[in-house]
Amino acid sequence: MSTKTKSGERNGSVKTVELSVWSRAFTANSEWPDKEEFLDVIYWARQILGIILGIIWGIVPLKGFLGLALFVLINAGVIYFYFSSFQNVDEEEYDGAWELTKEGFMTSFAGFMVTWIIIYSGLYYSGDEDL
Amino acid sequence: MWGDTLLIVFISICTALLGEGLTWLMVYRTERYQKLKAEVEKQSKRLEKRKETHGDTLDKQQKKKIEREEDRLKQNNRDLSFVKMKSMFAIGFAFTALLSMFNNIFDGRVVARLPFLPLTWIQGLSHRNLPGDDYYDCSFIFLYILCTMSIRQNIQKLLGFAPSRAASKQGNSLFGPAPGQFK
Repeated sequence: MSTKTKSGERNGSVKTVELSVWSRAFTANSEWPDKEEFLDVIYWARQILGIILGIIWGIVPLKGFLGLALFVLINAGVIYFYFSSFQNVDEEEYDGAWELTKEGFMTSFAGFMVTWIIIYSGLYYSGDEDL
Repeated sequence: MWGDTLLIVFISICTALLGEGLTWLMVYRTERYQKLKAEVEKQSKRLEKRKETHGDTLDKQQKKKIEREEDRLKQNNRDLSFVKMKSMFAIGFAFTALLSMFNNIFDGRVVARLPFLPLTWIQGLSHRNLPGDDYYDCSFIFLYILCTMSIRQNIQKLLGFAPSRAASKQGNSLFGPAPGQFK
């Protein structure tokens, strides 16, 4: 995710000040002229969310199908809330809510599994280890 | 157990970087690849725009134009996949050798404890070469695959080597339909 802070001197004539991707990502109802940029925000938000949930699930520890199902629900729910209520983007511009909901999902899922497994085995299974 | 798991994460970061480095050496930095990639991206965006504006039109001329552009894009995508294929084979061989080496090192070793019971058809992978019937035990290969799934793609994205969304949505590659086509 590139952090572009254009000061408005591009082409010498445009004088509008464009906010950086970071500040737009955290500001409600931001303008997203470049679709790719918004999809990148969704992608990276998802990766970070996956790792954070993995750490929490590992520490708690949540186990079994419940852990997996909760992850899917929260991950999809948070992203859905983010683009539909917080940013209020027009889903049709992105080929429907489904496209946005699944953007980067598998990678996020893999990241979540890795952190969940590592934290869980490190915290709750170290004693048995003599291998 | 941290030792083994973190080592596996480290190994997959290294192999992902190595893979991307090799691909850069053999593919990404070549002029032919860069030209083709830029062309595919430009065409995909143009096609998407054209479809948006004339998508539902019954105008035969427009339809023909769209079809012609689609064909050109397909051809370029095929060329692009072909350019990539050479390095993919080389990397495939190198990685198979590396993987079998790591498999030997971690043979029969429980590297992690799973917080869930994997589905039956995954157990073959998650319990590969491990003694006993405790399916909560995790083998090297399972954790390595998961790490690679998340790390490789993120590294590709960070380095800007991931294919653009417009291109993967519009085009067919040699290796099957791109995601997002079956809507």
